[in-house]
Amino acid sequence: MNASPESLKGEPDPALAAEFEPRIIGFLCNWCSYAGADRAGLSQTPYPPNVNIIRVMCTGRIEPLFIMKAFQGGADGVIVLACHPGDCHYKEGNLRAAQRHALLARVLEQMGIERDRCRFDYVSAGEGEKYVQLITEMVDSVKRLGPLTASSGGDHP
Amino acid sequence: MEVSELGPRGRLTFPPAFGKRGSGRHWRIEPGVESRICQTIKLCAKARDSSGVTMRTGVYFCNCGTNIAELIDAEKVREGLGTAGDGAAYFKTCRFLCSEEGKGFLEQDLRDEKPDRIVIAACSPRDHEATFMRVMEQAGMNPYLMQMVNIREQIAWVTPDPEKAVKKAALAIKAALWRVALHEVLEKEEMEVSATVLVIGAGPSGLKAALTLAEAGRKVILVEKTPVIGGLPVLYEELFPDMECGPCMLEPLMGEILHGDHAENIELITLAELSEVAGYFGNFLVKIRQRPRYVETGTCIGCGECIEACPAAGLNPFNGGMDQKKAIAFAFPGALPNVPYLDTELCTRFFAGSDCTLCSAVCPAGEGVIVYHDRETLVERQVGAIVIATGSSLYDCAPLENLGYGRFPEVKTAHEFERMLASNGPSGGEILASSGEAPGSVVFIHCVGSLDDEHKPYCSGVCCQYAFKFNHLLESRLPGLKLHHLYREIVAPGKEAFSLYRAARDNPNTTFVRYDRLADIEVSGEPGHRQVRVAAGTAIDADLIVLCPAVVPGADAEALGAMLDVSLDRFGFFEELHGRMDSARSKLRGVYLAGACQGPADIRRATSQGMAASGCILSELVEGRKLRLDPLFATVDPAKCSGCRVCMKLCPYKAVGFDSENGVARVNAVLCHGCGTCVAACPAGAVKGNHFTGEMILAEIEGALQ
Repeated sequence: MNASPESLKGEPDPALAAEFEPRIIGFLCNWCSYAGADRAGLSQTPYPPNVNIIRVMCTGRIEPLFIMKAFQGGADGVIVLACHPGDCHYKEGNLRAAQRHALLARVLEQMGIERDRCRFDYVSAGEGEKYVQLITEMVDSVKRLGPLTASSGGDHP
Repeated sequence: MEVSELGPRGRLTFPPAFGKRGSGRHWRIEPGVESRICQTIKLCAKARDSSGVTMRTGVYFCNCGTNIAELIDAEKVREGLGTAGDGAAYFKTCRFLCSEEGKGFLEQDLRDEKPDRIVIAACSPRDHEATFMRVMEQAGMNPYLMQMVNIREQIAWVTPDPEKAVKKAALAIKAALWRVALHEVLEKEEMEVSATVLVIGAGPSGLKAALTLAEAGRKVILVEKTPVIGGLPVLYEELFPDMECGPCMLEPLMGEILHGDHAENIELITLAELSEVAGYFGNFLVKIRQRPRYVETGTCIGCGECIEACPAAGLNPFNGGMDQKKAIAFAFPGALPNVPYLDTELCTRFFAGSDCTLCSAVCPAGEGVIVYHDRETLVERQVGAIVIATGSSLYDCAPLENLGYGRFPEVKTAHEFERMLASNGPSGGEILASSGEAPGSVVFIHCVGSLDDEHKPYCSGVCCQYAFKFNHLLESRLPGLKLHHLYREIVAPGKEAFSLYRAARDNPNTTFVRYDRLADIEVSGEPGHRQVRVAAGTAIDADLIVLCPAVVPGADAEALGAMLDVSLDRFGFFEELHGRMDSARSKLRGVYLAGACQGPADIRRATSQGMAASGCILSELVEGRKLRLDPLFATVDPAKCSGCRVCMKLCPYKAVGFDSENGVARVNAVLCHGCGTCVAACPAGAVKGNHFTGEMILAEIEGALQ
């Protein structure tokens, strides 16, 4: 788990990538993306088990603090999945989440947390396949980035 | 961030520190954030210690037959929770927790074990959270003291590696244990409601809604802008698909509204519009501005003597200005209520200062029936629900100069043509060209403004059907007449529309010309001898040209929407809660939609919508039954609120109001849908989202990262 900074910046060490199992927190809204994850389950399509899901009623509920907290608590990545624009059960909470994510991603980057560690996307209740694909991609990209450590990004005194 | 100083841990284990992985150094996040996280831990500890005894949390693991058990080993999950059970006082498995047997087991076990909190690891909470909450209630436990873990859809069925599945399930249960410790007892509050309903608009949908509600014993306030009820179809003599007479079809419905067995439940207010609304679902206070009719509806016998006597006349708006009407008149022969109204723009008393009293003098019902000093009144009513049934309007064809509408008397809109066909219309039902003769050739221009990105991109849905109805009527009244349909698309869906279309297609005197752009059509020629040309095609002689304009939102939809805080869609129609699944509800609780106010509609759809809205109201707003509020709403801590109003701007349901006396925001629990957008946005952390508090979610995150 003690990845050297070099391996994070450059090509991943294949041995390390195989061994490293990232811990990822997924924030899903009750109506679309969580239902999309359920749909993936109904179709019994396997995907990596690295994402632990936190269900909220709407992605509009997600405070940037939650995401910061997840990273601080040891997560290697965070994925936020919302309803597609126009589909939000609460009209536009997903758009608020998208706005917040755009700002937070910049803050995280300044802190040295790579963009790929904090993703935002849209999954509808019917998009089980898309859910599987997004989770698989997320796990792959975080595996490539390696574990998140205090030294993996910028300089924090 | 030392946890040990927070006191005894109880049975739950807490994280020794955040960011323990990697270098062991903490992330530096701004101090406020750090302190809130610390606060969370303290709260965790407090929740455990406040009662003085260790909190008992039970875990119920549903095997779901073999669905879960075959893929996740419950015993290994229990082991994975750690020796201290990670906060669980007990861990039990059940074959099918949602079966009758399983629910019985759960209920009895909750009574026996008396846990403070429970975690249920089973299927998706979208499947059975409500089921288990009901069991908890039956067992005398507050249903909000439970957290469900989805180990079937999101773990068992998608994680083929049994070891990984066990690990993931244990982690998810841990997260739930951390979260549930902070769950609070939530009760469904109850509120008194008014069961009276305000229906705005007395067209087919509004009438049907009002009558359905009145028949169920509800008081209904039916507000109509014009002096008459019946909406548009009452002006149309023959309706598609089967040439039924509009007034005859609506007569029984209007009769029931005015004089039927349940008429006493309906208060009809004509010439009136909504002027002010306050309150929310169950308790609206509405103010209705009623313009003067100058005729007492209670005493007028509807004989029409006054009309004969009236010396003043002007253009008749009900016939599209195609004929004249008296200053005191019925809107049209047979209009209901059967009481004339006085038009102050035409009566010489009002605009010329005369002292004419001819109408009142001849009134056989005596003096005081015609009231010249009648004034505008403001009617105040308390209602629980509002139905918007304000209908639609037609696209303004005047700016389309190439079509000649407004310039050439031969060019009519479909609405005007309907009046021409009606026996109570301006020509007494005779079809006349501008020459005064019967026309030899009629051109129908379909899709005027519809299916057109330069105008309205949507299909108006009804135009093809009435155009082919016209085709049928003209063919039968004036055999041999040449009929031409200029169209962009033909749309005739459903089980009935095809027959009129088929008849038009089979008619040897009817031709169809497809056009591409509305701008390609040119209406030209001399008075009485018009030609219609499509692009470079041959000119079609036309004695009468009928435009089929797009159906567009009513002129006052925007103002009404703003007054009620009900949203409009991108076309300006009222927006449904859900276009397919919930089309009779608006997005504002307590405000319902019926008919063409939410998009182009035929009579069938409009009346169905009226009944659908009534059905929603009858089930949601029951006389004598208090409104039970879902406790998942947001609350504002006035001590923390700085009054910045960010929450007000973000709330999609206008549920956040401002208490200007105290300078703080306040959430209306009736209107709040519990999305939590305001909770996340509050810069002061003053808004709390019940059951999804920051502390609970943070605890769940911490638990998931063990």
